[in-house]
Amino acid sequence: MSDVKIKSNNLNVFYGDKQALFDVNLDLNEKEVTALIGPSGCGKSTFIRCINRMNDVIDICKVTGNIEIDGVEINDENLDVVSLRERVGMVFQKPNPFPKSIYDNISYGPKIHGKGETKSELDEIVERSLKKAALWEEVKDRLDEPGTGLSGGQQQRLCIARAISVNPEVILMDEPCSALDPIATAKIEELIDELKKTYTIVIVTHSMAQAVRVSQKTGFFHLGKLIEVGKTEKIFKNPDNKMTQDYITGRFG
Amino acid sequence: MTKEQRLKKRHAAEKRFRLYGLTSILVALVFVLILVNNIFSKGSSAFMKTVINVEVFFDPELIEIENGAPEENIREADFYDITIETLLKAYPAKNLDEENELIDLFTTDAEIEIKKAFLENNNLIGKKINLEITASDDIDQLHKGNYPRNLPEDRRRISNFQLKIYDNLLKNNKINKNFNNYFFNNGDSRDPELAGIGGALVGSFYSIIICLLLAFPVAVLASIYLEEFAPKNKITDFIEININNLAAVPSIVYGLLALQILLATIQLPRSTPLVAGITLALMTLPRIIIPCRASLKAVPPSIREGALAVGASKFQSVFHHVVPLSLPGTLSGTIIGLAQALGETAPLILIGMVAFVVDIPSTPIDPSSSLPVQVYLWSESAERGFVEKTSATIMMLLSFLIVMNFIAVYLRQKFEKRWN
Repeated sequence: MSDVKIKSNNLNVFYGDKQALFDVNLDLNEKEVTALIGPSGCGKSTFIRCINRMNDVIDICKVTGNIEIDGVEINDENLDVVSLRERVGMVFQKPNPFPKSIYDNISYGPKIHGKGETKSELDEIVERSLKKAALWEEVKDRLDEPGTGLSGGQQQRLCIARAISVNPEVILMDEPCSALDPIATAKIEELIDELKKTYTIVIVTHSMAQAVRVSQKTGFFHLGKLIEVGKTEKIFKNPDNKMTQDYITGRFG
Repeated sequence: MTKEQRLKKRHAAEKRFRLYGLTSILVALVFVLILVNNIFSKGSSAFMKTVINVEVFFDPELIEIENGAPEENIREADFYDITIETLLKAYPAKNLDEENELIDLFTTDAEIEIKKAFLENNNLIGKKINLEITASDDIDQLHKGNYPRNLPEDRRRISNFQLKIYDNLLKNNKINKNFNNYFFNNGDSRDPELAGIGGALVGSFYSIIICLLLAFPVAVLASIYLEEFAPKNKITDFIEININNLAAVPSIVYGLLALQILLATIQLPRSTPLVAGITLALMTLPRIIIPCRASLKAVPPSIREGALAVGASKFQSVFHHVVPLSLPGTLSGTIIGLAQALGETAPLILIGMVAFVVDIPSTPIDPSSSLPVQVYLWSESAERGFVEKTSATIMMLLSFLIVMNFIAVYLRQKFEKRWN
């Protein structure tokens, strides 16, 4: 059993008057892929956006309860969110490369964190990140072309490369394959398998098959509550909860 | 109704709608054509002026200077006698009345033109040269065909004797049309043949530069703060409503405001581009803030989130990503705002820019005119020559506006980035 990297304790999230998460207690293990499944609007994305405090952007959003990373509380007013997000990267549902060159997309993060002082250091980071994201071979000859000119799957791998360029510990993925075709999806899944050797990964997905393929642990959310969590095999073969059973067999959702 | 009838009816409705649209476009085009045609047919002749070819003899007995005299001496010297002498040679006049009528064929600046010719070539004493002297406004208009000849003499500004001289000069090929340099170089004048838009051009230029320097930074920073940093609450809602309202306030109200605050209270100099620029900046500010905010809003939130997710601070995500992406919209909004300011007349009239200014302003705190006000001023003048000057000034103003709008469109298309 691996170590617990992220630990949430009685996490509640409110959007104005509406409560989106109810007392979520969920442990995420280090260097493992955790999949979060559940019907739309059940709070999976809200949960992972708590881990890098992305919900701060939304004015009306209020978060109570605790989230610890390596035993340090992050849901704390005094915490510097910039250094938190340096440690916790994120990949979004729709690929969102900056409308800049491929090179600039990757080098932006290291630059603002002072990680690449010289051009050669930056070159090295860009190459390493793109190689890790399995995109290097496809783009190495056109690093100065716009990132938005790549295909959807390439763009998403570019975003993954961008996330790992600052060398985070955790990568959050919010339905990273929902806008991609099956071949691009397969590539991303392969990549996730590779990345979990280095990073702790949390992935939100609507595809049961994908959860089975990539994750070791699965959490099922419904209407803002964490219904069941456990090893992926167990959740999909022999869930304890009737609702989980119904969802994975396609009876609702 | 059968299916076929319904189909027929639907097709007819679509056809009718297309017809309405085409008709509206045609009507709009006809109006534009009428306007453009009217301005061009009236105004294009103002770019040429009528000149009369005369022979100037620099008689040493009439000028008190010698060849090679220093420039100041020439400038101070009296060329009046030689001018009169020259003009009278154009046609034999029998008495004093006829002589006066003959001299009236030429511009009142004839002496200056002769002096200028002398200055250019400083050893003409005792020599004869041929010189083209600008004709008076009446002859100018007559030559351009804007003046009816067949009226009875007492209802004409040109006497029968003058017509006779004109016909004689024309027969001897002494009358020509030249490029009207006065129209671009001179300030305003009571004499239409000497009046130009030089002063108005410089005044408008200074006003717009001051307006840009004041309005652009304030508008851009205000919109960035309001759009990206300000909390969304009742106060910012209230500010937003007020900005939208201010953009719709009639411009003359800003003129009144400037009159009271800038002229009466702060006592800035009247009729100057400085005051005009500040007034126009006040008026343009909300008109720039609105497109700036719109272009900031048009940057997709996913770009902001992408930047934040790699650990950019709010400030970095805004200034590294959002603002550069909004720049094309911001710039074109600014240029269109400035183009509106360039054509603004009412507030400038209130701050005294309707003054009659002959000198071309050398600094923004000299009294000045501006292009649209010059149009207004000349459109009220009685002389025929000002009719074409008015239209020509409108042509200049319109071409500036078209150029500015073209730049705005170009910037937007060139720098607009596509994102998904």
